[in-house]
Amino acid sequence: MDSKDFDVKEKIQWCPGCGNFGLIAALKGAMADLELKQHETVVVSGIGCSSKLPHYVDTYGFESIHGRGLPVASAIKLSNHNLDVVSVGGDGDGYGIGVQHFIHIMRRNYNLTYIVHNNQIYGLTTGQASPTTMLGAKTKTTPWGVVEEPFKPLTVAINGGATFVARGYVGDPVHLKELFKQAIEHKGFAFVDVFQPCVTFNKINTYPWFQKRVYKLENNDVTDKWAALKNAAEDEETNFEKVPIGVFYKVEKPTYESTLPQIKDKPMVEQDIENVDISEAYNELE
Amino acid sequence: MDFICKIAGQAGAGVMVTGRMMAKCFTRGGYNVVGYPEYPSLVRGGHNVVEVAVSDKDLRSPRQRCHAVIALNKDAVFYHKDTVEKEGIIIYDSALDISEFKIPKGVRTIPVPLMELIEKANGNVKMKNTVALATALALVNYPFEMLAGVIGDEFGRKGAEIVEKNIAAAKEGYEYIISQSGEFPHRLKPISEKRKILIAGNEAVALGAVKGGMKFYSAYPMTPASSILHYLFAHERKFNILVKQTEDEIAAMNYTVGASFAGLRSMTGTSGGGFALMVEALGMAALAEAPIVAALVQRVGPSTGMPTWTEQADLRFALHASQGDFLRVILAPGDVEESFQLGAESFNWAEKYQLPVIIISDKFLGETFFSCERFDESKVKIERGKIVDKLPKLEPNTRYKRYALSKDGVSPRVFPGTPNGMHVGTSYEHDESGFSSESFIMRTKQVDKRAAKIKGLLKELPAPKIYGPKSADVTIMCWGSHKLPALDALAMLEEKGIKANAMHFCYLYPLDKDKISKLVGSCNKTVMIENNSTGQFTGMLKEYCDVKPDFLILKYDGRQFFAEQITEQIEKLAKAKFKGDAEIRICEKEDLEYYNPQRHGL
Repeated sequence: MDSKDFDVKEKIQWCPGCGNFGLIAALKGAMADLELKQHETVVVSGIGCSSKLPHYVDTYGFESIHGRGLPVASAIKLSNHNLDVVSVGGDGDGYGIGVQHFIHIMRRNYNLTYIVHNNQIYGLTTGQASPTTMLGAKTKTTPWGVVEEPFKPLTVAINGGATFVARGYVGDPVHLKELFKQAIEHKGFAFVDVFQPCVTFNKINTYPWFQKRVYKLENNDVTDKWAALKNAAEDEETNFEKVPIGVFYKVEKPTYESTLPQIKDKPMVEQDIENVDISEAYNELE
Repeated sequence: MDFICKIAGQAGAGVMVTGRMMAKCFTRGGYNVVGYPEYPSLVRGGHNVVEVAVSDKDLRSPRQRCHAVIALNKDAVFYHKDTVEKEGIIIYDSALDISEFKIPKGVRTIPVPLMELIEKANGNVKMKNTVALATALALVNYPFEMLAGVIGDEFGRKGAEIVEKNIAAAKEGYEYIISQSGEFPHRLKPISEKRKILIAGNEAVALGAVKGGMKFYSAYPMTPASSILHYLFAHERKFNILVKQTEDEIAAMNYTVGASFAGLRSMTGTSGGGFALMVEALGMAALAEAPIVAALVQRVGPSTGMPTWTEQADLRFALHASQGDFLRVILAPGDVEESFQLGAESFNWAEKYQLPVIIISDKFLGETFFSCERFDESKVKIERGKIVDKLPKLEPNTRYKRYALSKDGVSPRVFPGTPNGMHVGTSYEHDESGFSSESFIMRTKQVDKRAAKIKGLLKELPAPKIYGPKSADVTIMCWGSHKLPALDALAMLEEKGIKANAMHFCYLYPLDKDKISKLVGSCNKTVMIENNSTGQFTGMLKEYCDVKPDFLILKYDGRQFFAEQITEQIEKLAKAKFKGDAEIRICEKEDLEYYNPQRHGL
């Protein structure tokens, strides 16, 4: 299988040089390497630049509304757990307007993948501060600099119950593809935060900025929560001198779907809805 | 023979369960029974009451006045003493001092030493309600075995000892009243052995949905819709359905849309405030043409309003919820049988026309329990509309035309997992394959495509029903839950020599102008009753059908119309030869709120 199998005819409409290009290439590559069947894969998104992604991958897709990719993806997975479900979105979508879904999906450990295109800015709405915009950064909505503490997706995820937590960088596409493969293969909720520079609106977190700071985690014990938290906090603790990428945390826990006897034998979508027998219900009502 | 009995006490004292047990006792005896709960939004401290109305004749709604009150606390005597008919009885715990209350003339009070009786049976204080329930049944000489059976079913899971002790305590209460009650004009014996069921509107909608093939329900708790969620959770494994409590109503509606896209019949349920949070994703369901069903169980609004009281004021909200122009179907069941049937049928409308369907009901119908026959399951048909599961191979890297333009506005759905069906379901305006498009021509075509569905709907959706005589001097018009008091009012009006019938609307939108204007035009005087302050449905009839009822009676105090109130108003209008103000507003006469007993010096 080739990543070209996942291409679509339509032209991709992102800014030239946008980090999204690297991300989608890595995702298609991962899907091809894992030989995912196109018709058994669903890519779900919210709204934003990055959320246009389902239109550019030849699988089933659903482009929902701003911040709501995760609940839509969750229900698709519950309804048909034979599908591979990947939810994508941006930092505004996932860490701003839709953050409650991020917090709660981690408690549930559905077997699906969540990829956040984290460019630390609102792109499609033309350059407002996002929850991950760095302190002091000047944007259209922070003309005197950001004073709000940036959201910390990795530590939140490690603490919140995600069973796979990773961070990638589009400037290292080979590494990113491997992260996506591990995330998709992980049995449980896999979360990948991806740094992907917005070349149009983010003049701080640029390719050169990351190039200087990013390094790959190696030989870290991914089952050690304390170590994971420490690694996740390193960027901030070093005043962004060092920005680690890689798998921070990975543990095995039962998935939500595995706790449901209703779908033990077959997915809900394959179950008969004609002639449902409700006669037992009458006994307690009589 | 009628018997109207209230059982009342402090919130948290188990009044609801006891009321339901009483209703069950009479349901098993073949009676028509209505169990109507009223309670404030407090877990402890306020006042709770269940009115159990029993009759061997037609009876569909609660009554304002009663024959007996079983008072579990002092407040209960205060609140309900003035609703007791002459020759009625108030039974109360003899440990309570009720001497400060003026009991209406002709009403007897019977103190019952509840704790003494319980101790005689070696029971404990938890059995107070059971003993009180027994006194109510003894009052009408209803056979004790009926109660013993219900106790066995209710407490069975707690073990045989608990059951036996409750029965023993109940027996003490029962015999005590038999020895004390003297002449009481209401005596009830079981009249039929045919088993009936006792069910509330919410449960009936839930059960109908299950029968109709619903496989996914996601919701966030909200009074008065929560009992749908509770019922479905309790039965999710028996019925093999998925039920999800989500982090909020936003997620609940988005899950519902997701499950629909994946191929399930999916549903959510809430009340007005929760529906407000669902609105954005309701529009997504419309644009993505994802069939979904939402149960909107109305309570008093706006905002938090009065959470545990009833109103019909969310109809315009349901009709207009979410931005942009789009079609939806609004259904309003009028009783538990219709709740069941529409619960099932709603998915056919949703799937055949690929749009959102809203089942609008209210606290009154949703939480009141009614006796009825087993539902007519033969009426339930599963019609899924256009779905394809086999598709020819597509050219590489092209998409299935999920939103293909079609004359009837409906294009075949295909579910993930089907080869060659890949496409994007989307909240964005799109071309035929679902790819985002801002083409002016395609935009217009897609809007017209979605709107074209109205033709098929108007052809298929049933007309409003007429109840009572075909022709009458006055026609009561109503929608949703108000079928219940309206039909009860017909019998009351007949006794007063007024020839009335009722026109009930189950299918609220879209409305067929030709059918409805003809029907309304064929009536003599028409009187609409609406449980809101602006006549929302009356306005819709004007807008969509160009008809206007002669009179509009509005009530928006938190309670539904009682049959007596409808009767009184129609009688007044008849006496005035149907002259006078076209708009009439009514409100309860007494003002004894349950939320703040202390305001009444309690």
